[in-house]
Amino acid sequence: MNEFQEKLVHFTWPEPKKSYDVVIVGGGGHGLAAAYYLATRHGITNVAVLERNYIGGGNSGRNTTIIRANYGIPEAVRFYQHSLELYQTLEAETGRWIMHQEKGILWMAHSEIGMQQQKARAAINRAFGAKTEFLTPEEILKVCPEIDLTGGGVWPVVGGSYNTEAATARHDRVNWALAEGAMMRGVHVHQKTAVTGLLMEGNRVTGVQTDKGPISAGIVMSAVGGHVTSLAAMAGLRLPIRTHPLQAFVTNHYARTFHPIVASTNLLFYVSQTARGEMLMGAEIDPQPSYNYRSDHHFLQSCAFRATTLLPFLRDLRVLRQWTGVCDMSPDYSPIMGKTSVDGFYITTGWGTWGFKAIPASGEQMAQLIATGETPEMIAPFALSRFAEDRLMADRGSAGTH
Amino acid sequence: MPELNRLPATRIVSTALDGAVWPENRLVLRTAADELLIIPPVADVSSVTSHDPYAIVVEDASYAGVWLGADEAAAILRRHCEWRVTAQRPQFAQGAIAGIATKLWLEADRVLFVVPAPYAVEFEERIV
Amino acid sequence: MRVIVDQKPIPFAPGDSLLVAMLRAGEHPTEGGCLCLGGDCPNCLATVDGISYVRTCQVAAKPGMVVERHPADGYPLLPDDSRHRAEVHAHNHHCDVVVIGQGESGRAALAEAEAAGKQAIGLDVANGQEAIGIYSGPLVVARTAAGMLHIHAAEVVVATGAAEIQPVVPGSELAGLFTSRAAEQLTAAGLDLGRVVAVGTPPAGIECELASGDLLRFEGEGGRVTAVITQSADGSENRYPCQTAVVGLGLYPRDALTRMGHQLPVRAVGDATREADLPTCPGEGIICPCSGVSVADLERIWEQGFQEMELVKRATLAGTGTCQGGVCTPYLRSFLLAKGKTLQPAFTARPVNRQLTLGEIAAGAHHHPTARTALDGEHRRLGAKMERSGGWWRPWNYGDVWAEYWAVREAVSIMDVSTLGKMIVSGPDVLELLERLYPTKVSTIKNGRSRYVLLLDERGYVFDDGMICKDSDTQYTLTFTSGGSSHAEMWVRDWAESWGLDVRILLQTQRLGAINVTGPLANELLARAGLDNPPPYLGHIEATVAGVPCRIFRLSFTGELSYELHHPVEQSVTLWRGLLELGQELGIRPHGLETLLKLRLEKGHIIVGQDTDMDSTPRRLHHEWAIKLDKEFFIGRQAVLRTNKIPLDKQLVGLEMVGQPAGYAPLEGGVIWHQGNYAGIVTSATYSPALGKTVLLGWLYLQNGELPTEVEIEGKTARRVEVPFYDKEASRARA
Repeated sequence: MNEFQEKLVHFTWPEPKKSYDVVIVGGGGHGLAAAYYLATRHGITNVAVLERNYIGGGNSGRNTTIIRANYGIPEAVRFYQHSLELYQTLEAETGRWIMHQEKGILWMAHSEIGMQQQKARAAINRAFGAKTEFLTPEEILKVCPEIDLTGGGVWPVVGGSYNTEAATARHDRVNWALAEGAMMRGVHVHQKTAVTGLLMEGNRVTGVQTDKGPISAGIVMSAVGGHVTSLAAMAGLRLPIRTHPLQAFVTNHYARTFHPIVASTNLLFYVSQTARGEMLMGAEIDPQPSYNYRSDHHFLQSCAFRATTLLPFLRDLRVLRQWTGVCDMSPDYSPIMGKTSVDGFYITTGWGTWGFKAIPASGEQMAQLIATGETPEMIAPFALSRFAEDRLMADRGSAGTH
Repeated sequence: MPELNRLPATRIVSTALDGAVWPENRLVLRTAADELLIIPPVADVSSVTSHDPYAIVVEDASYAGVWLGADEAAAILRRHCEWRVTAQRPQFAQGAIAGIATKLWLEADRVLFVVPAPYAVEFEERIV
Repeated sequence: MRVIVDQKPIPFAPGDSLLVAMLRAGEHPTEGGCLCLGGDCPNCLATVDGISYVRTCQVAAKPGMVVERHPADGYPLLPDDSRHRAEVHAHNHHCDVVVIGQGESGRAALAEAEAAGKQAIGLDVANGQEAIGIYSGPLVVARTAAGMLHIHAAEVVVATGAAEIQPVVPGSELAGLFTSRAAEQLTAAGLDLGRVVAVGTPPAGIECELASGDLLRFEGEGGRVTAVITQSADGSENRYPCQTAVVGLGLYPRDALTRMGHQLPVRAVGDATREADLPTCPGEGIICPCSGVSVADLERIWEQGFQEMELVKRATLAGTGTCQGGVCTPYLRSFLLAKGKTLQPAFTARPVNRQLTLGEIAAGAHHHPTARTALDGEHRRLGAKMERSGGWWRPWNYGDVWAEYWAVREAVSIMDVSTLGKMIVSGPDVLELLERLYPTKVSTIKNGRSRYVLLLDERGYVFDDGMICKDSDTQYTLTFTSGGSSHAEMWVRDWAESWGLDVRILLQTQRLGAINVTGPLANELLARAGLDNPPPYLGHIEATVAGVPCRIFRLSFTGELSYELHHPVEQSVTLWRGLLELGQELGIRPHGLETLLKLRLEKGHIIVGQDTDMDSTPRRLHHEWAIKLDKEFFIGRQAVLRTNKIPLDKQLVGLEMVGQPAGYAPLEGGVIWHQGNYAGIVTSATYSPALGKTVLLGWLYLQNGELPTEVEIEGKTARRVEVPFYDKEASRARA
């Protein structure tokens, strides 16, 4: 009766071992993807993924599922375009339905300067492999006839950029397809297993302490979201990360008619329709750092107001549910991936509001790092050491929104 | 639509505001621990400057305001004020109203709404 | 009095909900399913007056209301538009106690609070007051017939009672099924339920046959129930023919609001606190009517390895529909208890508890306001194209950007620069504060003089620029960029307080208007306005101009002779009009931001935010001259000393296009290439009529340790040149 039920994925939950070659802390998309690519690309399967709650229960299961590559610096455009392409083939590769739908994302501009910025975004995207065009208001209307170009008489739309390959996928399905793919090849995933400490010998990590006992490991990788600074502190590392809540909400289900993903550079909201027909909306992060998961009225009120300013038909849709995740924000709005100054301790973090779209590429690249011991060229610019080396990956193209 | 007008005032930033004395026919709004807004302006500020030679004293018309009757004011607050204005009168209060930083001087039968003049037009539109 | 259901008028009685009216007329709002009349199930949803997913049991019937059934297969359509619907208003209510629910326990709680002398308010769902969520504050948001109600209370009492457990067996999707309370309400409303069979606890005051044994299934014909089948303890089946089946299967507390209010001053009373009855999960049937999830689906997903409550929910979608787990939660919990031997908690309780439209939830919201200078009306009257910039409405141009440009370069022009951040700092420690905040040697600025300065953060990155003007030994005037002014104020205040310095601070951006008078005829204009002795370059004086008392700063961003006239904001219009009139013969015209961006670029002046990035050290900006590292301390000094030791990777440079036609300017933000490799980004670009060429600023990466001398932009050659492009000796600005 319900075509959207998961019918293909099968999980296996073995008993934990005392030791693994690789222990990945965090059973969200990034941790599961690293395990999946270790198993499928490198044949490394003596791997455990430790998840303190249930898999995909953090940001991987709370995000707004947008996949796009329209970033603002060459290194990021290349990385996210690679991720977008891995997503395009993930269904075929895993044989699992992740509900991948190519939709295109519109970023609307509301001023001369905003328009200039979107033209520049399109130019830099095209230069580094992402398919982004600049659209006039008339062209925007062709992509999304529902938009009120007058912006409610307050925020007129003067143009926008359009990343044509942008897509959505069902977040849970991505997590599960990767988890199952790893499990099928021998990777262990342990839910309800919280890491409480790191086992160290000198400057080397040798395993993890968990609430179910110690597990030793050749390499420990942190794929923790939200509390990554706490885990890194166990290794004596201080991360330049601040954690902020990010909220979202969905409406009831409607017969699918709304095609693109729509975002506004000034009004800072974004809207898309899920495969099941819910309208899914979000906005910028909460300004104050916090680990609070409590949903907030002001966010819902303000985001609904801004979204209905440009998409008036939304006014009559009913809100079904709102929720909150927490985002690890780096100072330059770019992720942090790679080795750390502690031997055997690798990290993938700083996923801010752009973690979901990076899951396959981050997993693939981190797996390559673990397998070879060498940092792949694609993620080398995103090393933690860049902050000490004054080599920021300042990406205002990613700041503020999903 | 209520129309806001610029409010000529004397604005003082000083560490010696507590003991200062002002003419009775002035509104004296203590907008911060070290800041006063006196409407309309006063000529003699020596009760501050004699104690604080570093006081900043300026003529200031950067705020705009409007007096509204108590009922009309209450209706506006009910619509646009998310924080609690206690019943005591007279009273000074400040915070966001209709999304704009506002100062209130509340008397028994009327209320003065004060906003930064650059936002006066939008404020007028919002409280209709 | 009639309502319209799928184009058919049906009468209703006073006090009827839409659902009761429909049932009275023999209509059913959906295909079927057990109706609760309590707002807990999804079985009476319809589109009412264009809004879908409305629980018809919760809406009082009003004449002319239009009800449309949802499609039997699939979802309702997205509405076309809604901009003609009346705006929903929000009202705020402040009190001591809010009681949600006005049943027996709710009324008692309200009376108790009032007796204790507290200001209290009760929300009664029977009056259409639906609490949609409890938020921090605590804030209770409710939708009411009069609009949205935002209740700011010190304490929240949840008295929402308990929901009746729905039947989950084969046939539970038939019409003609009611919970006990629903049956009681319908009977009280005068509806004839026909032959009634009751399962479990029977309804009060209704003549009915009691079915003994455990409920096994419902049988029906044409979508309506015709019999209740139960199973006795010995395994035999009993068949009870009926026209209506009424189920009393137990109660489940309506605790979502209480759980939402976890760690807030929220308490529950009455049935909302009761322990949940956990029905046995049957072998078959639909447990989630919203998402169409059967017991067989649960069995399958368990076998697939989805065994956590949240994973079961996410994999089957049970609990993600309109009733948000109202029907399925008891069954999911009992299913998982039976399978896994542990009782798992219900899903996290999330707003909204009762649904409402985006138009309703948005009530009371506003966009960020955009500030207007005192000259806003003047600009609009002159036909300016206005743009939002740095939180202000600013004139972008007045229709002819090149005429504005030449007025500055060859005659005289004025610009409204009132948006500039302006601050007075006074006190015995003012010099100490400024020396610590700024990388320049503030002590060497003389009375009556000004200096261009950068502001650095602790990491040595430039985040704002402006001027320091010395008024006296204990008072300085500071300026900041228009967009950076608020942040700069916070910065100065935070540090002054952290360091415990004795200063007084006044941000006077909105108190002072500022008009920039610029162009080779600026002196001539000021003379006509009554100022014969203007200040020297980087000096400032007080004087009257066109009858307006001004503080006159001589500095130059345009590259021409320029004076910034700071004046009381209430006299901006007088000054503006006076200058325009006095300058008529001199060819005066005002210029906007678009023109300014070109003028300053010709001079190579950076705009913080446009030409700088998050990691712009003074060295990368080629502004080392603005940093005095021999000072003992300033914010960012340590970071600058450290980063200066790291080999330089990129620098903001001046570029000019080689051999391009007049008027050409590459895209700002476009890519710079060097021999096919990425070499940087253009930050500013303009064609310069005065120079007859196209000039740019851009970030250029060093290639093999050297800044390239020739690069490609948009497939064309550009050459690296020294800035400024225009008037390198600055003879015009200093004239």
